[in-house]
Amino acid sequence: MAITAAQALAASASDGGSTRLEVDVAPRFAAGDRIRTRNINPRGHTRLPLYLRNCVGVVAADLGVFVFPDTHAHGGDQKPQHVYSVHFSAKDVWGREGGERDTLVVDMWDDYMDPV
Amino acid sequence: MNGVHDLGGSDGHGPINPEPNEPVFHAEWEKRVFGMFLPVAACGYFNLDEFRHAIERMGAPSYLNTSYYEHWLHAFETLLVEKGALSAAELAARQQQIAEEAR
Repeated sequence: MAITAAQALAASASDGGSTRLEVDVAPRFAAGDRIRTRNINPRGHTRLPLYLRNCVGVVAADLGVFVFPDTHAHGGDQKPQHVYSVHFSAKDVWGREGGERDTLVVDMWDDYMDPV
Repeated sequence: MNGVHDLGGSDGHGPINPEPNEPVFHAEWEKRVFGMFLPVAACGYFNLDEFRHAIERMGAPSYLNTSYYEHWLHAFETLLVEKGALSAAELAARQQQIAEEAR
C-alpha cells in the first residue's frame, strides 16, 4: 500500500526519518570483532568514506538492521543488513599524522566489512 | 562514487568560518526548497539515498560553487526530470520565465 504524504510526514517527525527495519537478519559481526573495511570504489552511491577503505577497526556495538544505501539509491532494493558502530584508531586511518589518542567512531553497514 | 562530496581528509578547502548566530535559512527560497523535501519524497519520486546520490552527481565545479540548498534544488530538478514528473523543456521554460521576471 502506498503511504500518503501526511503519513510520511508524521512518521518522519516521530523517528527523524530513520531507515531502521524491523526484520530478522543474521549479524555477521559482534562487539569486539576486528574487521577490515572493503576497498570498494562503486560508480554509484555509497556511505563508505573514501578515507576508510581498507582500514582495520573494532566493532563496538550492533545498532540493528537498516536499509542499505548503496542499493537503495539505485532501484530501491533495501537489502536489509546490520549496521555497526566501529572504532578506528586515528593512526590506522591517517598514518603518522593521526592523533596518538584519537579514535574515529563510524557507523558501518555489514557489506562494507570483512572479518580480520 | 568517489566524488568531491566525500570531503573527509581532503586538504585545500580553506578554513571553516562558522557564522555567529547563523540563521536557519539565508533566503526565502531556501524555506521553500526545504519544505519540498518530504512531500515530494512521500509522493514516491525518490528516496533519501537517491536524493543524496543526485547531489553527488552534480559534478565537482557545480558542487563546490553552490550552496547547501542549491544542492537540494539541483537534486529535485534532476530526479523529477529523470522520473518523468517534469520535462527538461518545462524546467528550462520556467527557469527562463523566472530569470526574465527578475530583470
